[in-house]
Amino acid sequence: MGFEIIMQYIQPLRKYLALAAIPFFLISCGSHYKLVKSNRAEYKMNNERAVDSTLIKTYLPYKIKMEQEMNTVIGHSDVLMSKNDKVPENLLRNFFSDALLHEALKYDPAIDFAMPSTNGGIRVDIPKGEVKMSNIFEVMPFENEMVIFTLSPSDVQNLLNFIARTGGQPVAGLRMKIVNDQPTDVMINGKPLDPARNYKVLTSDYVAEGGDNVQSFKKPIEKKIVGVRMRDALVTYIKENEAAGKTINPKLDGRITKD
Amino acid sequence: MEELLKINRRNFLKTGGMAAAAVALNLNAFDAIAAGDLVKLTILHTNDVHSRIEPFPMDGSKYQGLGGTARRSALVNAIRAKEENVLLFDAGDIFQGTPYFNKYGGELEIKLMSEMKYDAATMGNHDFDNGLEGFYKQLPHASFPVLCSNYDFSNTLLNKSTQPYKIFKKQGIKIGVFGIGIKLKGLVADRNYAETQFLDPVETANKMASLLKNDLQCDLVICLSHLGYRYDSNRDSDQVLARNTRNIDLIIGGHTHTFMDQPEDIQNLDGKITTINQVGFAGINLGRLDYYFERYKGKRIQTAAPYTISDHLDG
Repeated sequence: MGFEIIMQYIQPLRKYLALAAIPFFLISCGSHYKLVKSNRAEYKMNNERAVDSTLIKTYLPYKIKMEQEMNTVIGHSDVLMSKNDKVPENLLRNFFSDALLHEALKYDPAIDFAMPSTNGGIRVDIPKGEVKMSNIFEVMPFENEMVIFTLSPSDVQNLLNFIARTGGQPVAGLRMKIVNDQPTDVMINGKPLDPARNYKVLTSDYVAEGGDNVQSFKKPIEKKIVGVRMRDALVTYIKENEAAGKTINPKLDGRITKD
Repeated sequence: MEELLKINRRNFLKTGGMAAAAVALNLNAFDAIAAGDLVKLTILHTNDVHSRIEPFPMDGSKYQGLGGTARRSALVNAIRAKEENVLLFDAGDIFQGTPYFNKYGGELEIKLMSEMKYDAATMGNHDFDNGLEGFYKQLPHASFPVLCSNYDFSNTLLNKSTQPYKIFKKQGIKIGVFGIGIKLKGLVADRNYAETQFLDPVETANKMASLLKNDLQCDLVICLSHLGYRYDSNRDSDQVLARNTRNIDLIIGGHTHTFMDQPEDIQNLDGKITTINQVGFAGINLGRLDYYFERYKGKRIQTAAPYTISDHLDG
């Protein structure tokens, strides 16, 4: 009498009844308790629940201090960087990509170019004037981190095609003209695209895992996790500029144009 | 529903052909037997809380207004006031997800868990986000043990900071609890786990569970797992773990942020039940399993005793 046969019969009952053992057996003298029943439940933590004010007292000082920090000015921008996904290039994307490439190069100077996010991953505008910590949390609320992938020529082409097909994405170290939704005149790191070589590309773990339908990072020749979150890298970049007495002043440089 | 139960039970009994089981299988019999002879154990659990100290903000997002440590604490306190034997566990990814972590490095998360009197937790991949050093730094705030059995931290800063298992005793019941973590390579930056040796989850879990149930005579064995509930591929998951091990009664899972309609019961290598449960993420839910144990007096011959499962609590 196999377990499978029995399970077949009690299938509809499985929720209610589980079989601990089939045959008679001798309970060893060591065990004095036998499991006979299990009930389960789940509680949803919604606003009908009471709160423990003692616990709130514990976290309140942390909350206040954190909110202060969120209001801290970490840098200054000369321009408003608007989220406008309908153009091949914009200030927000250029700032985002250049800042991250700059930071990632500290960990790997051999990176050829960057597509650190898709347009969708850059969430909101960065204001002109004071840039607060909260601005950076809003522009990059996700916990994604920087990864560096070495891509084969075909995967590089796949990525370039994606950028062109979608009318432009956040890039750094890369220039292209989009003609008929195809990438042309591609320049990487100041040199024309070599269709025979591998390239080292900075991106995010989200994009690399196929986020926003990017399929170019599925079969990398090599992958490297930098171990730095993108938001942290952006904050570092802005703070370093501020410390050096520089403002954030991204430019449109025609890195991606569309016919 | 009662009719269905009866019909199916009859089918089963016909196949089983054991008169003895008929008595034992009477679902209503337990309460009768009970009368002081049952010991009840309540397991509460969370996973992937991800620094969600306060409820999700009311910003129109999917989980707005849900979660929050103050609510969880109040509920856990209320359950503790009502039940005698309560254990509270977390299956990892305590860290990362709100600015609280970025700002305080997990200090507040661990402090609040200590205040809620968590009994144990295991480590998720995000608990390595500030490196071994980042986790080590917060351990002085933990009044509960961190259980990891398949991460060998011997050659790292975390050497002796975690323990493979812990045995809890509640009214004579021995509950053995151990932790199983996910493969770190490719998931966590190399330098964040450094010389941590990753041991095979299924093999380690089998050893741990056998040690706890057979050698150390635990009445219930619980695995706190951060492997993830299930995958399309055959990589290690809680389902794979449940099917390929013996002696584990309950896997409290995490990592995949799975909201389960109810816990899943899987037949393990011994043909017994290994239950898997996971409660989403961010402290949106608190999971609960009540286990009832029948007390024995000395050595006795026991017929096949079933272990009934219900998705409702008693009274």
